[in-house]
Order: sequence, then structure tokens, then C-alpha cells
Amino acid sequence: MVFLNAVVSQDFAPDALPNAVRSAIGKPLRRAAALTQLALTGACACLTEEQRRQPTILLWQSTSGPRLETLNLLDEVCLGGGEPMPYDFLATQPALAAAQIQPFLPGLRSATHLPLDGENSANWSMLLALACRWLDQGRCAQVLCAQLDHWPDAASGRWLALGTGPAATALGRLQPASLPAPAGQADTPDFPAHLREWLDTGRASSFYLHAATSPRLAVEFARL
Amino acid sequence: MQRPLHIVASGLLCARGDSPAAVGDALWAGECTAGERLLGERYFPYFALPLAEPDWLLRAERAVRHVGAQLGPYAPETPLFVASSSFQVGLFEQRGAPFDMPVGSASFSRQIADWLTLTGPRSSFSTACTSGFSAIDAATTLISAGLIDEAIVVGVELANASTLAGFAAMELLSRSACRPFDARRDGLVLGEAVAAVRLSAAPGPWQIAGIASGLDAYSTTGPDPDGGPIAGVMREALQAADTPPAAIDLVKLQAAGSPGSDLAEANALRQVFAEVMPPLLSLKPALGHTLGASGIAELAALIASLDAGQIPATANYGEPDADIGLAPLTVRSQAVVRRALLNLVGFGGGLASLLVERS
Repeated sequence: MVFLNAVVSQDFAPDALPNAVRSAIGKPLRRAAALTQLALTGACACLTEEQRRQPTILLWQSTSGPRLETLNLLDEVCLGGGEPMPYDFLATQPALAAAQIQPFLPGLRSATHLPLDGENSANWSMLLALACRWLDQGRCAQVLCAQLDHWPDAASGRWLALGTGPAATALGRLQPASLPAPAGQADTPDFPAHLREWLDTGRASSFYLHAATSPRLAVEFARL
Repeated sequence: MQRPLHIVASGLLCARGDSPAAVGDALWAGECTAGERLLGERYFPYFALPLAEPDWLLRAERAVRHVGAQLGPYAPETPLFVASSSFQVGLFEQRGAPFDMPVGSASFSRQIADWLTLTGPRSSFSTACTSGFSAIDAATTLISAGLIDEAIVVGVELANASTLAGFAAMELLSRSACRPFDARRDGLVLGEAVAAVRLSAAPGPWQIAGIASGLDAYSTTGPDPDGGPIAGVMREALQAADTPPAAIDLVKLQAAGSPGSDLAEANALRQVFAEVMPPLLSLKPALGHTLGASGIAELAALIASLDAGQIPATANYGEPDADIGLAPLTVRSQAVVRRALLNLVGFGGGLASLLVERS
């Protein structure tokens, strides 16, 4: 059985991110890209100190990707005519986030970045399907699924924390939906907000995430 | 549900040839010449695609369509998994400032789907050098669970100055050649590739028997020299396949000619295989390091070689390194390979191992 242990939504003004990181870990995360800071801040919000040591997989999708850093790099390479500053290049590599945040999440075993290919697109259904399967297989004790975006005027993190066991604050459980799945919430970037709303005020016993192009990836949530 | 997972078709376009079989033949013949790319005032060896088309987007289209045509008939609704570390950054460079980047950072994946006439779900993976195996891992998980039946996994890494300049700025590139495990190794040689595998629950000649991923946070640019995290991932892949180390007939190394990463991988191999070291092979001296495409490109090339009953030699190896203490195959062989382990050690700490087995 897979448990929904946390639903977290975070929104920051971009210049507030360093302070958010400092609040989360007690010190700044030097030379870290915005997405890395978002990942660390959100992961710390989802997990207690003890949970951060449990074997964890991070799956994070992003529409923006390292957009601002890539534009900066393109300026340096194409307009500057030379080689970029190494840390500017590193900031365009979202895979680096995992290595930078593992010291604060000692249980982090692997991390996968899934860039999205369109505005308002999301792939929560696939992230959750992978998470449920890997938890069932015993690959890890918990999976953090996230959508992280960093734009010039806003930064946001949407998180679902799943585990093989219920945390003290567990909110529900989930499983691949039996087919045919009832109509459900569309797979959009703000799916965690809809899930939170159902948890807080919904009357139905179950809540479904619908995957338009992959109906078999539909997910059913239920309260504990 | 737990279904076996087969590789039913593959496609490849890289510096060594325009199909998996052609690349296999070139590897068997020992071909390993590289071209070069100018960056500022420095030339770097580089393995470019054999396409003369100067327009970045047209070149990409030709490459992707060519590889897609090698996958045999597939349903248009087949799920697409795209692996890349740079996507279409070369296009932005060619079009110049002001850089017109679409909203979705992986918007290039939609273009790839169109070129492949795929209308089903798409997902993209960008975990640097391990991107290809990350995509395969997701696809195999969903197929194995019965949530999808087939998947097309495409690795794309196409020429751009940003990646070359970034690696050059960190002094990670060789100015001469990729020399895996060699005492003279001095860095990576980058290259381009478009590669694809079609994965299915239906029978095929090869199975993906096990796959594992991991993280080495020793440094953002290089692994723990002890090799412990790499060894851990190799063991997990073997365990997932329920296969002992002694049953591995060949290891396709990451071995990109990097001083630090090669040493870490060698130390990991000793931890996993001890005294019974299987034959070791690196394809990067012949293909270049094709980054996000490398996992799929090297898988397609290796399977083509093995299907032809051929294990190519590792090019450019000549001077043993006492610290490495291991040597890749320098003499080609026709030994039968039933199971092969493929390693990826990624920039940024990503690790992955995949075990393929004849069906």
C-alpha cells in the first residue's frame, strides 16, 4: 500500500528563495541554481528530519527548466564569443540539483528531472505510477513527486510525498485506478492544489487523477 | 503484474554510421576517427553526425526521421520517452539573439513526436549522461506493470556550442582523443547521436533483465574515486535481474577517458566482480560521449555488435594505468555474450546500470 504523506505548495518571489533555503537548512546553499534551491526547500518541507534519512527517490517535472540560466549561457556563448563561466554552465544542468541537495537529504538515492514540453502540461499521472511501482518493488521507502518552476517573476514548488508507510501526518492512500476509471481531475500543474481541496473539503470517498492520453495511468486517492 | 521487457527494434545515427548494424560493422573494423570543432581559438576533437545539412532544425529532422524509420511499424499512439541533456539549444544558438525559447523547456520533444508521427503520451528525461537509462527505466517500469504495452525511447544529442563551451570551460575535454582506462587519458571527446529503442512486452531478441539508478554526491562534476556508489548501482541492477556477477559476459563501460570517473568506475568494477572480471569494453573512443543520448546509442550499437556475433576492441587503449589496474578489450572477439551489463556515470552525480540478456 502506498500512502500520501504530504501535499505541499510553495510560492516565492525569486529573490526570496535564498532566505527560504536558509530557513530550511539553517544556512545558504552557495552557488546553487534556483531549481536546486526550490528542490531543497520543498523536500525539507515534505520530510521530517528523520524521514530525510530514509531511502528516497525524487521525481521532478518542470515547465520552465533552467530557462533563465540557459538564456544567460546563450548570451555568454553566442554574444560574448568565449567560454562561459563554469558556474553559469553548471546552473543550466538540472541534474546537478540532486548532488547538491543530498547532503541535506542523506536518504536521497536517485533523482530524475522530467522537463515538460508545453505550457500548462504536467505528468503527475506518470510520476505517481512510477512512484507506486517503485515503492511496491521496495526500491525505496518514499518518493517525492514535484513540479518546480522558476520564472522571472515567480518561483513555485508543488509536492506530493509518498511512502510505503503512513507518516504521523498521513493524508491518504493511493493506487493505480481500476479500469475503466471514473472521470477525474485533469493532469495539470496545479493537481496538488485540487487534491488538497478534496482532502480538506471534498465529500467523495475517492478522488481520481485522470490521464487523458494514457487512461491506464489513472490514479485513485482515498482517505485513511 | 510483472511482465518481461523486450527490445524489439533499435535505430541509430551517429558518427560511426547510419544504422545499428552499420555502426556495429564500423566498430568491428576498428574505425574511430573523429572530426573537430573550433571553440574560440581552440580546436577539440568531435564526433559529428554524417549529415551535411547546415540548418540545425532540418538536420535534426533528417536525423530523427531516419532513426524512426529503423524502428519498424509502430502504432501512432505508442508512448514516447525522450532523453536529452541539451534538447534544441543548438537551434537557439543558430537563430541568434534575441533567443526565442518556447515556454516548455522540452518543447523539442513535441517536435520529435511529430517527426515520428507519434500522437500518444510524451515524456522527457534530462539527467545529463544518464538520461537514456532514466527514460528506459521509466518505460520498462510502466510496461512491466501493464500500464503501457510498448514504448519508443529516443536519445537525442545534437551539436551545439553551449555544451562544448561549458565542458571546455571546466577543462573536462581532451584535445587529442578519448582514451578509456589508459594512463594518458585526459578528458572527454563529445559527439552527436540520435538513437532509439522500441520496447515491448511482446517477445524480442533481447530482454532488459535489470536496471538500477543511483546518485553519487561526492562532487557535482565527478564521482567518488572509491567507486562505492557506482558499485552499489551495479549490484542493484544485478539483483534486479537475479543474476550473479559471474554470469555477466561483458561490461560496456562508461569509461569516457575522464581521469577521475574512469578510476572510480574501475574501483567499482573490482568491488563487484573481484577476481572474476568479465571482458570490458568502451565504445566512446569510436562514438564519442554523446551525453544524454549515450545510453541508448551505446545500447543500440552494442546489441547490433552482439547480434553479429562480434565484440569490438576498445580503441585508443595502449598504456596501462597502475591505479586503474584494469584493461579494456584491445583485441576483438567472437565470444558468445548472453548477458551484458552497461554502465553510465553521469555529470552531476547520476549513476545507472542496465543488464541486457538474450531472450
